[in-house]
Amino acid sequence: MTAVQPRNATGSRQSLRTEVLEERPVNLDGFVEEWPEKGLVAMESDFDPQPSVRVEDGRVVEMDGRERADFDFMDSFIADHALDVATTEASVALPSGQIARMLSDPGVSRSDVLAVTRGLTPAKVLDVVKLMNVVEIMQAMQKMRARRTPANQAHSTSARDNPLQVAVDAAEGALRGFAELETTLGVVRYAPLVAIALQVGGQVGRGGVLTQCALEEATELDLGMRGITAYAETISIYGTESVFVDGDDTPWSKTFLASAYASRGIKMRFTSGTGSEVQMGNAEGRSMLYLEIRCILMAKGAGVQGLQNGSISCIGVPGAVPGGIRAVAAENLVASMMDLECASGNDQSFSHSAMRRTARMLPQLLPGTDFVCSGYSAVPNQDNMFAGSNFDTDDYDDWNTIQRDLQVDGGLRHVREPEILAVRTKAARALQALFAQLDLPAITDAEVEAATYANSSNDYPFRDVLADLTGAQAVMDRGITGLDLVRGLEAAGFHDVAENLLSVLRQRVSGDLLQTSAILTADFVPLSAINDANDYAGPGTGYRLEGERWEQLKQLRHVTSATNPETEVR
Amino acid sequence: MTAAPLTAADYPLSINHPELLRTPTGKPVTALTMDAVVSGELTAEDLRIAPETLELQAQLAESAGRPQLAANFRRAAEMTAIPDAEVLTMYNALRPRASTEAQLLAMADRLETTYAAPVNAALVREAAEVYGRRRLLADDDADQSAPDSAVTPAVAVDEETRA
Repeated sequence: MTAVQPRNATGSRQSLRTEVLEERPVNLDGFVEEWPEKGLVAMESDFDPQPSVRVEDGRVVEMDGRERADFDFMDSFIADHALDVATTEASVALPSGQIARMLSDPGVSRSDVLAVTRGLTPAKVLDVVKLMNVVEIMQAMQKMRARRTPANQAHSTSARDNPLQVAVDAAEGALRGFAELETTLGVVRYAPLVAIALQVGGQVGRGGVLTQCALEEATELDLGMRGITAYAETISIYGTESVFVDGDDTPWSKTFLASAYASRGIKMRFTSGTGSEVQMGNAEGRSMLYLEIRCILMAKGAGVQGLQNGSISCIGVPGAVPGGIRAVAAENLVASMMDLECASGNDQSFSHSAMRRTARMLPQLLPGTDFVCSGYSAVPNQDNMFAGSNFDTDDYDDWNTIQRDLQVDGGLRHVREPEILAVRTKAARALQALFAQLDLPAITDAEVEAATYANSSNDYPFRDVLADLTGAQAVMDRGITGLDLVRGLEAAGFHDVAENLLSVLRQRVSGDLLQTSAILTADFVPLSAINDANDYAGPGTGYRLEGERWEQLKQLRHVTSATNPETEVR
Repeated sequence: MTAAPLTAADYPLSINHPELLRTPTGKPVTALTMDAVVSGELTAEDLRIAPETLELQAQLAESAGRPQLAANFRRAAEMTAIPDAEVLTMYNALRPRASTEAQLLAMADRLETTYAAPVNAALVREAAEVYGRRRLLADDDADQSAPDSAVTPAVAVDEETRA
């Protein structure tokens, strides 16, 4: 959104200070008044339903003021699949203030909170989180996020859909610490080549990184089944029936899809976020957060392990209304208090102001979430095909400095130039060799050289797009799978990369990555909410940034030596 | 297979219980080596999850207090028998106004009889019931004078931009 000129309609004289303020980037952002009747309101609306629940014969017959006969499909699905029928009446009867205190009180364990939250209706959840200010939301998030160790996720895309750029920026991103890498396309037909590039580049940077390619649902599943991608995330769900149907899905089709992924051993999460319903024109007069809570409960009912939320591609909408960024922090918390993995936004760009961009991510960075960003741009924003991210490659050093200043782990680390150049070259060489093995359009030595030192897609020689698209089609026609990638890399002498990729593929057979909040360490140890369950219970407990990891995060591009102030630490 | 249900301490299976893991083709997970890849001994079929493994993961999810996740894994276990293309066809058939009630019920029967997938069949029958009540069956468009709204999934939030 962009603000509308002119500001000074009367033509009267403006102060010099006003002129300065008018020029500040924040005034390029869009802000609107609330309009609760249309759902243009973050989380405080008189039009949201009041909590209620009634169970008869083991079945929910009334929820949030609606009788079963009047349930829309979201109500039906939530009542029949998400709510714990045995506890829902007792949980909803608890005072909301008591539940809110349980959430933010470190003396109450995560599992004690879950025993209550699994019975809450959407309106009751809203009633609870409405009582919490942003610091209480963060305090609760610190305890309620599912995985003990926080992580981060990146986008690796290219404005020219250049597979080579995607591969080398994936390699650098993985080396810097991202646990998951995601790509998408400008020209969708490029997808097979770009998805292969992401997979190869990721495994060069750090073995065990998981990759995905955001596409229309059926195509995304197809690439996953072939073993070219490792997880899926862009499985969108919506908080009103009408918008869900506009998205050409229902809770049942999405539930079937969730099981389809699991049936192939592929990790997946749904995506939702505040503002999507009002942006798509049918919020049915409900607040953004109420509708998002319905999405979260639907995801839980589907049995999907996790959710990407935090407004995501609609961040401009909550960002424009009062309390909107608080509501976004609350929606992340609700995903976590429903025991789902939360990839917590800080994704699509939403502000011209560097201060606002930073403030927007603090409620996720400070307490830690399963993935602080569900798309930090590991390419310059001009190359980000997800319409830009709140943070990009230009911000790497700032991010690392903030981690060091506040002693918090945002999943990244500073890496020295020679190491970065080495993995970029290696990723480029590996992709070059693999394309040759698979008889795909050649990558020249000049391209490899450019890729090693490049910043953006402008720094690469142009590729023959028609030849690439023919090659991409051939990948699909020939039925190339992840195993062919392993074989090609091995034959080309990239044994360690091939071995890394095979290890990722082998994970499918074990299903370990299907459990809540699962990622792979560099040693291919699955880390999930089962073996790395969040055990925060107050000061001195839970995940602490200390030891070897803290030593890593003390490193920055320029740190003066204590013993020799003339030099910098290396 | 162990008789007692697995618990959290058994996770991750890839490290703690590789002996329990087999491919759908019957190979032990330890057979998935680079040598086997290079020799062409392995196919993409070998890199799939077996229904028995999904049942083990369901037990882990259950013991971690996640009954919905466990149910998802059990539906998935049933679905391992269905070929990729048919999984996609069935998914598309569940989209709004894509199928008549009779088509959905036939799909549920097929799930039950051809693929021994009663849990998925129940999900599809439940969808048929709700779609009927909410006018989301393919038939429902015929008696509406408005143009077919199912053809164009409207506006705004493009799947591919939801990062």
